Amino acid sequence: MTRTAPAPARPVRRPSRGRLAVVALGIVAALLAVRIVTGGADVDLPDLLSDLITFTLSVIIESLPFVLLGVLLSLVVQVWVKDAWISRVLPSAPVPRRIVLSLLGVVFPVCECGNVPFARGLMLRGVPVSDSFAFLLAAPIINPVTIITTHQAFGFDDGILVVRLVGGFLIANLVAWLYSRHPEPERLLTDRFAAECRMPHSESGGRAGRALGIFQHETASMLPALFLGALVAGAIQVAVPRDVLLALGTHPVLSVLAMMALAIVISVCSSVDAFFVLPFASSFLPGGIVAFLLLGPIVDVKMLALLRTTFTPRTLAQISGVVALACLAIGLGVNLVS
Amino acid sequence: MSRDLAGRSGLLLTAITCVATLWLAISGDLILYIHPRYVVFTAVLAAVGLVLCVAALVLVRGDGHEDHGDHDDHDDHDDHAGGRRWPRIVGATAVGLVALALVAAPPATLSSTTAAQRDITGTPANVEGPDATELSAAAPDVSAGFTVLDWSSLLRQSSDPAVFADRTVDVVGFVTPDPADPENVFYVSRFMITCCAVDAQPVGVPVYQEGWADELSPDDWVHVEGEFASNPSPASDAALAVVPDGVEIVEEPDEPYLF
Repeated sequence: MTRTAPAPARPVRRPSRGRLAVVALGIVAALLAVRIVTGGADVDLPDLLSDLITFTLSVIIESLPFVLLGVLLSLVVQVWVKDAWISRVLPSAPVPRRIVLSLLGVVFPVCECGNVPFARGLMLRGVPVSDSFAFLLAAPIINPVTIITTHQAFGFDDGILVVRLVGGFLIANLVAWLYSRHPEPERLLTDRFAAECRMPHSESGGRAGRALGIFQHETASMLPALFLGALVAGAIQVAVPRDVLLALGTHPVLSVLAMMALAIVISVCSSVDAFFVLPFASSFLPGGIVAFLLLGPIVDVKMLALLRTTFTPRTLAQISGVVALACLAIGLGVNLVS
Repeated sequence: MSRDLAGRSGLLLTAITCVATLWLAISGDLILYIHPRYVVFTAVLAAVGLVLCVAALVLVRGDGHEDHGDHDDHDDHDDHAGGRRWPRIVGATAVGLVALALVAAPPATLSSTTAAQRDITGTPANVEGPDATELSAAAPDVSAGFTVLDWSSLLRQSSDPAVFADRTVDVVGFVTPDPADPENVFYVSRFMITCCAVDAQPVGVPVYQEGWADELSPDDWVHVEGEFASNPSPASDAALAVVPDGVEIVEEPDEPYLF
């Protein structure tokens, strides 16, 4: 019996950069042409479908710049920031390190959508998984944009601003501390992201090329999640009558639960959620307003979809439970003293 | 899906979103989805994103992580590759439909169905609006430029006909039937936006016109002129309503939302 030697692998011919550039620009031109042609079409969709599309696209378009900013910050951290700089900035002791991470939003105010890719970048550079929660959960609340807009909306009335900041800080550090005791923190991550974290940090190739590679990789994770989160958030908007929730405003317990439910379904950006909830302040007790402002930036439909790119469903369920209980306790406490 | 294509799916979705966003910005329709204060910021980031997409497609090989060795490269949500086929198919279909909507759905404002679902009278939407106690003493022309938002804010503060006496209402909005008396009362309505369309809060001014549905349909944009009076409808919850001198169907305004 004669054995045939395997044929040598043929080198894969990659199209030239010039040809790829033509293809890329052709795709952009085709998309633009389709968009222009369909933009003026007189299509009479049913109200619910039309509103579902408007809601879904609204969430995507509103989130897009923040997601892109987060991806850009993430690739800067991965490509241009040196390990020595990270270890110099972050304290080695766990508690101070988590405190510093929970205040990092002050210098990187990228909204909750952008925080996910940024946190992924931090973990890929060796920041512990549990510590990343301190950043992820606190940064949407403790950042200058959110602080200014919350102050513009409420001033110091009913202590809403102070409770929001202190509550966000405490919840983030509580969750980070809880998970710092986890014996196998890698099990909190999706298999794929855990595998990425295990890989050695690559310094090969040009920085621009590596940065574009990270851009491509992160958008492949973030955009499908954003689309799905936006679709679910949009579907809830057309399916759940909002006045059902708002009828519960003056009950000391139900008002808090109703505003927490609203925070989860509304998926509004943390930088402006104070303006959104301001009109409800006259019909809802302050505990409900505080619970909305604490829970929304951490746990909402869109945010959960984005976090799902990185964490297992079990982890997200646990975090949602802990955060919701903490927000409920704080909201009830505010109603008790107000 | 091949590894190469799967790796580049994010670039395609990003490019679709960026192209749609830039087109909406150029055509002036981006404000149907987000507050005007975000238009420039969003358009600039969309342009940057589009440039990066093109650069990545030209310069990056494979999925962008080729240097890192082999790993499961199909789906971030795919923790256990076996037995999760249908969720993946459903997810990919949903993502595809959303992408299609970004490219092909004509820009549209929210409808009266959503306005009716969100309790058009329930929430004080503008705490910095005109003050009802000051309106009585103000000159008649003070209220000449009042919008639907201003009038609805005043109606929440007072239902005293004296406050609104001799004030002419001259507003534009879309028709939303009054749920309590849909045959004789409709709200001339607008949505108020804080951040994006998801947080849209409807505001409206009740208009009493018997059999309005003979001439108008829900979602029609109308110009209403008239004065407030005690609402003749016994079924409606609104104490006051505009009894119109005229209701005229008009084109949707360039800025259909109030900000």
